[in-house]
Amino acid sequence: MSFQVMMMQLGQGMLKSMGIFFLTLLFSLPLGLLVALCRMSKSGILRTIMRVYISIMRGTPLMLQLLAVYFGPYYLFGAKLGKNWRFSAIIIAFAVNYAAYFAEIYRSGIGSMPAGQYEAARLLGYSKSGTFLRIIFPQVIKRILPAITNEVITLIKDTSLSFSLAYAEMFTIAKQIAAKETSFMPFLAAALFYYVFNALVAFAMERIEKAMNYYSA
Amino acid sequence: MKKRVLAGVLSAAMAVSMSFTMTYAGETETVSEAEAAANADGLATEGKFVVGFDAEYPPYGYMDDNGDYTGFDLELAQAVCDLEGWELVKTPIDWDSKDMELNSGNIDCIWNGFTMNGREDSYTFSVPYVNNSQVIVTADDSGINSLADLAGKTVGVQADSAALALLSKDGDQADLAETFGDLQQFADYNTAFTELMAGSLDAVAIDIGVAQYQINGRDGYKILDEYLNAEQYAVGFKKGNTALCDTVNKDLKTLLDNGTFDKIAKKYEGQGVDPTMLCLRESFGEASTEASTEAETEA
Amino acid sequence: MALLEMKNIRKSFGDLEVIRDISLRVDEGEVLSIIGPSGSGKSTMLRCAAMLETIDSGEIWYMGERAAWADGHGGLHYPKKAELKKVRSYFGLVFQNFNLFPHFSVIKNITDAPIHNQKRDRDEVYAEAKELLAKMGLSDKADAYPCQLSGGQCQRVAIARALALNPKILYFDEPTSALDPELTGEVLKVIKSLADLHIAMVIVTHEMNFAREISDHVMFMDKGIVEVEGSAESVFNTDNARMRAFLGKLRH
Repeated sequence: MSFQVMMMQLGQGMLKSMGIFFLTLLFSLPLGLLVALCRMSKSGILRTIMRVYISIMRGTPLMLQLLAVYFGPYYLFGAKLGKNWRFSAIIIAFAVNYAAYFAEIYRSGIGSMPAGQYEAARLLGYSKSGTFLRIIFPQVIKRILPAITNEVITLIKDTSLSFSLAYAEMFTIAKQIAAKETSFMPFLAAALFYYVFNALVAFAMERIEKAMNYYSA
Repeated sequence: MKKRVLAGVLSAAMAVSMSFTMTYAGETETVSEAEAAANADGLATEGKFVVGFDAEYPPYGYMDDNGDYTGFDLELAQAVCDLEGWELVKTPIDWDSKDMELNSGNIDCIWNGFTMNGREDSYTFSVPYVNNSQVIVTADDSGINSLADLAGKTVGVQADSAALALLSKDGDQADLAETFGDLQQFADYNTAFTELMAGSLDAVAIDIGVAQYQINGRDGYKILDEYLNAEQYAVGFKKGNTALCDTVNKDLKTLLDNGTFDKIAKKYEGQGVDPTMLCLRESFGEASTEASTEAETEA
Repeated sequence: MALLEMKNIRKSFGDLEVIRDISLRVDEGEVLSIIGPSGSGKSTMLRCAAMLETIDSGEIWYMGERAAWADGHGGLHYPKKAELKKVRSYFGLVFQNFNLFPHFSVIKNITDAPIHNQKRDRDEVYAEAKELLAKMGLSDKADAYPCQLSGGQCQRVAIARALALNPKILYFDEPTSALDPELTGEVLKVIKSLADLHIAMVIVTHEMNFAREISDHVMFMDKGIVEVEGSAESVFNTDNARMRAFLGKLRH
């Protein structure tokens, strides 16, 4: 296999990895917030459910969760898995897993807000949702951004776990080319791809953090 | 949103129940449901022949120079599809998950240098088409020249492979495995050969065809003259899916008769599919080409 | 008609009873100062008035209407949504540590609530906010962020923020306690200018001279009860032993 073909193949795998990456963020960031709010809700049942959910997501390997989501419908309900289920299962597993981590980050951020901000907002006539959306959440984002960046960067590398469902993302492709070529070169190239993508994401996150530095809390 | 949360909780439950299922999937599972497939021809989706294969298993299934999936087995599958007017869907799978993929209907068959011996109870198999052997590969300078020399050595074997079954407790070579210093499982052959090179493995137990492919791509390895066993490759279908199995058997016969089978085999001759290994002819009750010629002469 | 009336208020935190049957009343244009040692319950009293704390028993009246009451046996009545909104619109509170919104500029801190919560006209609110800033001597800080201001400037912004909602009565919870001594003057000056405009105020403070100068009425609280109250002169010249001891301590 020529070098160009290899890079092309890896490049296509990279696109799929990026697909997993962006879709996971798209779903898990809002879902994580919802989970965090439920986790902090007044309802004890809701709180307990969320606590159990988070502890399972954080306490079991992501690879096992991928298998569970992918094969679960068949083993639990005998459902026939459609052709597109492989990709959907990956996105669901990643989103649900990362939402748990994001939820804990949101929760720590929301919990770190001083009570005075809530009191001031209440007395100025902000509604509950208004207080959260206009006063609390914008400040929380700034506080949790470094922790979010950490998770986001981990996610890039975690996309490679999709190989366990043989989804043709970059790591899976790299393994296949390596097998065919009986060589480790493809892994080196894959590492380079991951590194560059990571560097770009890290740079973007740094820019966002800088943009939020217009004030200090 | 709520659904997704629910799915999260559920998947956890699944994870637990599945880890149990998987532990003994190897032995007992599968015989259970021989549910008839959705279509009369045994295909899960009408007109689509979904073949599951390990894309890291040259020469039977792998990525070619153009980045497309190919291999001896996949070309045979294509030939079957050409006969039936089906569309071939090549689906790379993770080898560890092959049973789940097959049982859940994600794939119609496993066609990928799939050893039938010892697995007869778990799958419905086509006629065998390749005589395979499990062999031992070591470095030229390892000082290992016979199976007896493996005593105390570290031997690598692919997870969930035929070689592993052979060397496991109830396998035919369990006694041999007893003499090993250690039996180590690995996920793919590329890693295994690197470990061999690096010295963390002394020998690798492996299918002969794969061994030949790997050795062609590297210097300094040999295959021991003593083989671990003789076994056969066949196409594995979900247990009970005889409709599909019969169709493929019939097509293999046609491919043998019209020369397509030999033509494809010829292509992979230098890559580990040795002509002496082919056994499709015998499967259909015919003597091999040379033998049959001799027989005719005698008569 | 009294703007605010609190009748027989009691409040405990756990076993500690911090307010023991206190009543007070503030009329239009009146300035009430509550003084006393730390832990005397004076801030809690103010927070109860602002409904940041619930009372255990007693009644709170605003504008001649009973807004909240508790019977001391678990019966508790606080206004619901719409009613609460109306009651809250009567008063504003200035916190000890400002509680400005750090992610909003100065002008946004002042204008955001009137625009979003009172649904008032944006241009009108901005014009008023600029006037308020001018009064506070902060015209040049409209676009600054709280983190760029001194403590005294922050507290003046917080006062402007409270005033922007046009409350009938303004509460100050130790408005200078978090400030460096050289910055307290500028804040006290602003509060005094409000008193001169006859805006009703309740001020919890440790600034005795200021309280004496500005107040129509002074309450001296200690350990949850009112020891002395009355006109500024009468309270500061009282014979009450606790008050004398308190003033004596301050002098040293």
